[in-house]
Amino acid sequence: MVATDLLVQSLLNGLLLGGIYAVAALGLSLVFGIMDIVNLAHGHMLMVGAYVAIVLFTALGLTPIVGMVVAFAVLFVLGMALQRFVLEPVVGEGMEQPIIVLFGLALMLQSIGRIVVGSDAQATDIGIPGEAITIGAATLSFPRVVTFVLSIVLILGTWAFLKYTTTGLAIRATAQNSSAAQYMGIDTDNIYVLTLGIGTGLAGAAGALLSMLFPITPFVGWSYLLKAFAVVVLGGVGSVAGTLVGGLILGVSENVGVLYLGGGFRDIISFSIFVLVLLVRPHGLFGSSGGGE
Amino acid sequence: MVDSDRSQSRRTYLKTLGAAGTVGMSGLAGCTLLGGSGGGGETVTIAATIPESGQFSSLGAAVKRGYELGVAMMDEALDQDVELIMQDDESDPEVVRQSLTQITSNNEVDMIWGSFSSLLVTAGSAFAEGQGIPFIGAFFAYEAPHRNEGYEWTYSPFPKSRDVARSTAGLLDLIPESERPSNVGLWEPNSGWGEEQADYWEQTLTDAGYDVVLRETFSLGNQDFATLISQSESANVEALLSTPTPPGGITAVNQMQENNWSPDVLKFVRAADPTAWWSALGESGAYACMCPGWVPGLTGGGNEAMWSAYEEEYGLDDGELIRTPVGGAYNVAQTALQAIEGSSSTDPGALQETLRSAEFETVIGSFGFENNGLPSEGDLTAPTGQWWEGNQHTVYPDADGRGAIDFQYPIPPWSER
Repeated sequence: MVATDLLVQSLLNGLLLGGIYAVAALGLSLVFGIMDIVNLAHGHMLMVGAYVAIVLFTALGLTPIVGMVVAFAVLFVLGMALQRFVLEPVVGEGMEQPIIVLFGLALMLQSIGRIVVGSDAQATDIGIPGEAITIGAATLSFPRVVTFVLSIVLILGTWAFLKYTTTGLAIRATAQNSSAAQYMGIDTDNIYVLTLGIGTGLAGAAGALLSMLFPITPFVGWSYLLKAFAVVVLGGVGSVAGTLVGGLILGVSENVGVLYLGGGFRDIISFSIFVLVLLVRPHGLFGSSGGGE
Repeated sequence: MVDSDRSQSRRTYLKTLGAAGTVGMSGLAGCTLLGGSGGGGETVTIAATIPESGQFSSLGAAVKRGYELGVAMMDEALDQDVELIMQDDESDPEVVRQSLTQITSNNEVDMIWGSFSSLLVTAGSAFAEGQGIPFIGAFFAYEAPHRNEGYEWTYSPFPKSRDVARSTAGLLDLIPESERPSNVGLWEPNSGWGEEQADYWEQTLTDAGYDVVLRETFSLGNQDFATLISQSESANVEALLSTPTPPGGITAVNQMQENNWSPDVLKFVRAADPTAWWSALGESGAYACMCPGWVPGLTGGGNEAMWSAYEEEYGLDDGELIRTPVGGAYNVAQTALQAIEGSSSTDPGALQETLRSAEFETVIGSFGFENNGLPSEGDLTAPTGQWWEGNQHTVYPDADGRGAIDFQYPIPPWSER
């Protein structure tokens, strides 16, 4: 029998972790929902973003919060270049081509990472003094609270961008019906370039956030990709709100699940949810055939 | 004088095959060669892999230094050259196998020395068993392979799980009874060794009158210890024992600090072994205990000679002590030397016979081996070390050598550190 205070503690830990999962999945969800591309390199781009923050932190002493902004910018440019020069030429050649290209890119990024930074785990430090926060019998890690808040800011920012800007409207229109969007004068090629830039930029920012909490190696890409997939499937492709809810559910499920089943079951819990949702509700909780909100 | 005669074996066949394909220096790419000029019956050739990159890389440099000092010591003691051919195994068991295949294909290897951790050492020993080459491996506490794999060539001069548990009970017994913790928590990695070590801890400490109030598993690659920390706090764990990897252990301590919880005693076997522990955690890593085989503070068995050789070769800053993996690795070389001297030969069978029957005395203590390569139960010192002011110090057993200190107990709350 699990004590109530322990259950509450695990719920709160799960929520905090879920926020990070959500932001890690957001870019994947947008690219998948708007472009119909499964970005298999998403986790590795997250890893690159983490290393951008780590380099800035170790070499220049910059806080990872600054690193997060820089990582977003670096990966945004990388994503746009990727779409313009690598994916655009193979789009229309069938669904497999972009997947193969992105899978190759993932392997390439992992190998480059191993050569450039080595295999050793590295991390950053949040750089903000703060004590653990006590809520009743529960204790919240200050770095997790900060990264959770930053995650929510990123998610809300993305949502507001898609909802309230002209470019966001164009992205949503392209996601709903690219042919109609073109008739309306939207340059869909540029929209796709921008979308992949935002998606990879968000991956980079998520990587910087994760570097504040967990050690990073060039090999973390696959595991974060799988977590992100689970969140996207759970929340629904292309849905910002769904991604947030999906992340929170996954975080809570993992943390509460290991209380009852043991830590060895953490990944089993994640992927059981992934498979279950695919079987029962393939579009996810908030999924639709349309794109962003 | 050593007789290097050897019978035709799979390894000779492999060597011939390998030589056909990889003649020349290309076969030695990435190798570090120490000692003699190589090849020939007048040279004792030893193959080794060490983790210079990957999850155990923070220990690779110290293991390398221990091996280097050990080879120099062997060179002095033996009539022939000793050549050690080392490669980086990247903390990857598959790379261990590839590297050893490459080295043994291109050289008349007399002996193999292990890498670091059960994961890598067992990969090396499996290769050695297949080739019929004597294998000496430290940093390898896992007992099950010795019992289950039919080891004939693998010998491990290193504290095993049972010794680690014995050492932990001894450490706790140092604390006056009125202040002694009673609640023990076990974080068990979901690995064979993790389970074995947790079993020994549970049995040994329960028999000694302690209460194991928590035993929870976690995945070895786990990066989130928040739930385990909450569970430990809820169960009122006073002494926390685990066998995480160095990155895992460092992450766990960081998260303990973030969650404002710490036990009174923390023993992270293998995780707290490397200097990375202190460089990553600084003062937050103080008080942590480990059981790395050798710790500054031990005396006898060649300790004084090792200290002198180390200072002469590498120097030590004021207040700096030798890192623990150096002693464990040096002890491998001492064991090898005593086996060769006892056999008067590098013939595999003769070495095997000596390893099985002789008594050895090294910097980690005096011991013999069982036929399966386990050190005889209770023979080893199995010292417990503790991080204090940037160094690891022997705190158990009572020792009076350089680096020995009193056990620092209890770990104060984070707010008082």
